[in-house]
Amino acid sequence: MNDIKQVPVVELKDVTRTYRQGDVDVNALRGLTLTINKGEFTAVCGPSGSGKTTILNIIGALDVASSGKVSVEGKDLSSLNRRELSIMRRDSIGFVFQAYNLIPVLTAYENAEIVMSLQGIAADERRNRVMDLLSEVGLEGMEDRKPHQLSGGQQQRIAIARAIAANPAVILADEPTANVDSDTADKLLDIMETLNRKRGVTFIFSTHDPKVMDRARRIVRLIDGRVVIDENRKNN
Amino acid sequence: MEGSNLGVMAWRNIWRNLRRTVLTISSIAFGTFLAVISTGIQDRNFSEMIDLAARMGGGHVTIQHKEYQDYPTMSRTIENCKEITKSALKDKQVKHVVTRITGHTMISTAKGSYGAGFMAIDPLKEDDKTLSIIKNIVKGSMFATSMDRGIILGERLAKNLGAKMGSKVVYTMTDRKGEIVRGLAHVSGIIRTGAPGIDSGLSILPIDSVRKILGFSENEAIQVAVFIEDQRKSKQVAKRLSKKSGTGSATLTWNEVNPELAGFISMKIGGAIFMEMLIAVLVAAGIFNTLFVSVMERLREFGIMMAIGFSPGSLFRLVMLESLWLGLVGLVSGAIVTAGPYYYLASKGLDMTAMIGEGGSEVAGVAISPIFHVGIFPEHAALIAGAVFITTMISGLYPAWRAGRVVPVDTIKLV
Ligand SMILES: Nc1ncnc2c1ncn2[C@@H]1O[C@H](COP(=O)(O)OP(=O)(O)OP(=O)(O)O)[C@@H](O)[C@H]1O
Ligand SMILES: [Mg+2]
Repeated sequence: MNDIKQVPVVELKDVTRTYRQGDVDVNALRGLTLTINKGEFTAVCGPSGSGKTTILNIIGALDVASSGKVSVEGKDLSSLNRRELSIMRRDSIGFVFQAYNLIPVLTAYENAEIVMSLQGIAADERRNRVMDLLSEVGLEGMEDRKPHQLSGGQQQRIAIARAIAANPAVILADEPTANVDSDTADKLLDIMETLNRKRGVTFIFSTHDPKVMDRARRIVRLIDGRVVIDENRKNN
Repeated sequence: MEGSNLGVMAWRNIWRNLRRTVLTISSIAFGTFLAVISTGIQDRNFSEMIDLAARMGGGHVTIQHKEYQDYPTMSRTIENCKEITKSALKDKQVKHVVTRITGHTMISTAKGSYGAGFMAIDPLKEDDKTLSIIKNIVKGSMFATSMDRGIILGERLAKNLGAKMGSKVVYTMTDRKGEIVRGLAHVSGIIRTGAPGIDSGLSILPIDSVRKILGFSENEAIQVAVFIEDQRKSKQVAKRLSKKSGTGSATLTWNEVNPELAGFISMKIGGAIFMEMLIAVLVAAGIFNTLFVSVMERLREFGIMMAIGFSPGSLFRLVMLESLWLGLVGLVSGAIVTAGPYYYLASKGLDMTAMIGEGGSEVAGVAISPIFHVGIFPEHAALIAGAVFITTMISGLYPAWRAGRVVPVDTIKLV
């Protein structure tokens, strides 16, 4: 992989994040520098409270760094206003949260389609992409089910399909497997990995499960808001 | 996406908590029902009362001597009744024009003397459309000609006088010089209205007989009464007619002639507005509560939506669309719930005799029918629909604003 020219998608430089809690300052991130390149499949791991969620939220323009520089696709997030951040989340970022990602009143199909609708993509194109993706995540025939008629793992697959359908620069998944059993977790990772390989989608996911970590090609380990290990694994 | 998809989502969202939504919609529907029926009763009653007042008094528009309102004497007359009548009839709102002499008289028989009001009319020109009590003649009939020798008395008055059909009575009045003049008449009709003021204090005389006694010319009278199509146009018609009817006269609307009744009606309309505001507040509180609670329950969902690319504005619009749906479904249900009772009350009416009593009631000398009908003015119905709609949208504003202010990082943590 090292011979191919690497395109940075996410760049963090000396990023700190301090939360004020009552009278004390909590330093969730203490000067974090990290570059994620296009097509990478990265796990962010570390003990509870090490800053995994915080870093994903900052990359995803949901939270704001206290200092340092954050850019996605070369755009400095601190220079964007509320509206532009919203458009950034819609067009450049895909989110998969731990659970309950879907809009309960929409069907599986509509959930997978919704971000594309927000982007203004034509109905035909939306239909093609959704049908392809639903079969790729193994949910064909379940288009009309509402989220409450799907298992937790199936809901996560729809969330992944939704994120990919919108064609973002990076998909951020905060402990996407924490709420499902290990077999289901394995299958979700298979799906993510396949999509990453076939489509070149950039994934950053957090986990503290060593088995999940093992599936990543790059592992970033955080402790106390700092990167302590950043290793590329053999491309298996 | 925006328009259509948000609308569909909003529609599905309002049905997520069926019980709450049904309650809210019922309260909107019930509020609409109350507002329409109460306004409908008022509109219809006032129209009827005003028309009745017009048909008992001087019409919707009265033309009389300009000082008569303050100094009602027989010296203050209109001397060109025929010309005024002719020109008034040219106005397309005007349906009937009649000439009358009204005033006070003392009626005597062997048994005694009683004061009463009198109205001298042309029997060939008047019927119950211009003088409602004509249909309350329970014995005898209307005069044959304007020179008739008859007199029609209220039932109670006749009883007090000990007068029966055909009895001879003497009526005394003051002429334009202040001299006492008298006439002789035979009782030719008895009126029973149920309104005590009328039954014990009114008499009707043929106009030309009275003209002769008072020394009026055949073109002279106390008032020209004008009846129009729609009582609410009285003011405009009065304005138009006043331009034509000369400087010696005053052209007045029914409410200027009958300020007591006008006062009663404006008081009742004030009451109706209070009632409608109360309904609006109830509707608003119901919708606000439903939307606010449902927004607070969905903060995490809104957080997720914002994270995947919904803008704050689109979440605001989503909740506004939810209130729009609630308002529309509420209004439609309101219309369905109201239609049946409304048509029943509009056509058959509700007989309130049991509550009011056989004696009837009167306001400012105008008898009120014991049967309640509804008949809402179209613009009032539109006003109610508009008010419900606007109330709904205003109630949605704060919850919608709250939805647009969701901070995803804070809410997504809430599982
Ligand atoms: N809103 C907040 N207010 C105050 N402190 C916060 C807030 N959010 C996070 N923190 C603190 O910041 C630190 C990092 O939190 P973060 O959620 O990023 O950890 P994490 O690595 O995701 O942990 P976990 O594995 O438990 O999810 C923690 O000490 C946490 O208590
Ligand atoms: Mg976390």
